[in-house]
Amino acid sequence: MKKILALLLALCMIFALAACGQQAAPAEQPAAEAPAAEEPAAEAPAAEEPAADEITLDVIICQYGPNTQEWFLGSGMNGTNFVDKFEAENPGIKLNLEVVSWNDVYTVVDTRIAAGNAPDILNIDVFANYATDGLLLPVSEYCPEELYNDFFPSFIAQSVIDDTVWAVPDLASARAMFYNVDMLNEVGVEVPTTWSELEDVSQAIIDFYNGEVYPWGIDMTTDEGQAAFAYYTWGNGGGFVDADGNWAVNSPENVEAIKFAVDLVNKGFTNPNPATQTRYDLQDMFAAGKMAMLIAPNQLPTYVADKGGTINMATANIPAADGKTSSSVGVMDRIMAFKDDSAPDQAARNEAIGKFLTFFYNPENYVGWVSMEGFLPAVNSAVEALVAADPSFEAWLDVLGGCQFYPTAKAEWDQVKQGVIAAEQAALTGADVQAELDALQAQLG
Amino acid sequence: MNTIRTKHRWEPYLWLLPSVIMLAVFVVYPIILVFRLSFSEISKSGVLGGFVGFQNYVNAVNLPAFKTVMLNTLFWVVSVVGLSTLLGFIIAMVLNQKFHGRKIARAILVFPWATSLVVQASVWNYIIKYEYGNLNNVLLNLGIIREAINWRSSYQIEFLWECGVGIFVTVPFVAFCVLSGLQSIDESLYEAATVDGAGFWSKLWNVTIPMVRPSLTVSTVLNIIYVFNSFPIVYTMTKGAPTHKTDTLVTYLYMLFFYEKQKGPATALSVIGFLILCLCAGIYMVSVMRKEEE
Repeated sequence: MKKILALLLALCMIFALAACGQQAAPAEQPAAEAPAAEEPAAEAPAAEEPAADEITLDVIICQYGPNTQEWFLGSGMNGTNFVDKFEAENPGIKLNLEVVSWNDVYTVVDTRIAAGNAPDILNIDVFANYATDGLLLPVSEYCPEELYNDFFPSFIAQSVIDDTVWAVPDLASARAMFYNVDMLNEVGVEVPTTWSELEDVSQAIIDFYNGEVYPWGIDMTTDEGQAAFAYYTWGNGGGFVDADGNWAVNSPENVEAIKFAVDLVNKGFTNPNPATQTRYDLQDMFAAGKMAMLIAPNQLPTYVADKGGTINMATANIPAADGKTSSSVGVMDRIMAFKDDSAPDQAARNEAIGKFLTFFYNPENYVGWVSMEGFLPAVNSAVEALVAADPSFEAWLDVLGGCQFYPTAKAEWDQVKQGVIAAEQAALTGADVQAELDALQAQLG
Repeated sequence: MNTIRTKHRWEPYLWLLPSVIMLAVFVVYPIILVFRLSFSEISKSGVLGGFVGFQNYVNAVNLPAFKTVMLNTLFWVVSVVGLSTLLGFIIAMVLNQKFHGRKIARAILVFPWATSLVVQASVWNYIIKYEYGNLNNVLLNLGIIREAINWRSSYQIEFLWECGVGIFVTVPFVAFCVLSGLQSIDESLYEAATVDGAGFWSKLWNVTIPMVRPSLTVSTVLNIIYVFNSFPIVYTMTKGAPTHKTDTLVTYLYMLFFYEKQKGPATALSVIGFLILCLCAGIYMVSVMRKEEE
């Protein structure tokens, strides 16, 4: 009997250890992480007993850079911070604001939704899943008209599903080709504008530096492989969707584009491990003078300067297939509001969310925020002040005007994003691009 | 006497109560929750739907990467647990000898174990970097190689590196478990074996191994569980790229849940992993306990 009992106890121990080994499985994470997600609540002023008519808004903001936390919660806003300033100007509204890193934000948000504790206001890139699950409030219910009309219409159009706007843009960035001017001069080549020129220039750089410098950078990692897909397919007249907005990931143009990109890797023109070398690895190589050209966001000069690099760099259009038009890639993030059926006064809650947005986009606050993070604005009222502060913004705003965006309004975007990355990575290991993209298209129906 | 016994009969249960409550809240409840989730429909943003039977399990098993991931997990657990047990045993034998600097050597051994796995994996990532990694720099400066080597030239090699880092961080734990067993062996047993004419291998086989078996059992069972569930090394070094070819079950279900938003199959995989782990560790424990009885 004792032996059986001992065995049972031992098995119980295994059972417990198996369940809570070093890393809990994601499905178990919600319980483990929920307290962390709520932690700032304990520190925020909202922990005090709220007044009867006081509204507390739970806000999640993504961490764009080292200053985000300071600006929202520390003293990075001329000695004060966003939360304190907002609460001082909007009595009766408290902010329970949390700054979350991009690495964790999906986990935190999904966890909170699963626990029935979605934030009131969320800053993130995607929105379609939340909208189709009926979790979001339409923008028209909380965004003041004057502010709504201030957004760039082309940005607003990216957040529409079934004729309803579900989110507003918070900022944007545009991608372009950056090149090391001194290197290209030393080699004696012109800036490439087409794919064949890109190959010729890459070969010349390899020959000149004996392979010591990577001519071109490619990131096909899980982090941003979808950007690589966009750069090459858009530059070949293809893309994620066809002219009618239906998924067309396996179009002949796309297959040709991905084959071209993988060929660049196989010919030795790029960094050696595109499946694991992220955009930041490429930017580090560029800053260290180990890479001659790459596609990067408008913040690259700031990034290189922060790394101590002194690269003489310039921008150009992303090279396109011969005879095709170059297309820049715009990346835009959003702010959205979740429904909360438990709120006693829905109209007052919507009004409070509107006040939050009005305060955030007020040029007095917003210009500082956008320029601090090195991004491009999403509202007209900020343009003038930003261009006055930094004339280079104007050129980038022109680039942004001609940008294409990811089709994030389509509910299958997550699947497509991961699918094209998987296809690229499979192609890097020798798989057939056509077969990979056909398989993805078949899943999309 | 009888009164005292009656009075204290509840006492052990009282002392056990906090642990039981903790286990119930932090272990049993989440397990039940995951089981429930694995039989439910879950939307991409995590909203729970109705009961779907075994559909999530069928979808999980039919995922294109399922077979690769299971084989990777098997290789990962067997290689990391097996080799770290072998190496840990040898190191423990060495550290059990008397030599100058033994205490320092033991202290150094703790470092890989005491450092966070994310830090370890990041450091190794940096060491084997092709462009400006420490390994290439050292070898180039010593004149051992003439040009930098791409230490991550294929995904198979990248996965071997991950296993290598896994072994590196696991060895100290095994070594200390075995060392504690070795230190408890009575010297007279070796003396008696020597008198009987036993050599090094004979003593190792007939005295050392039987005496440290309990320590080895503990370290092996714990390692099977920890290594199977280990997330940071694979996630930090490759994130499973390319196309899940370097994923283990735990990193794969994380990617599936949070990146690909296939939450149903991910929770089903979580349950499958849990059951495999219980089975493996259970079989091992039962077989060892039987041997001890013999």
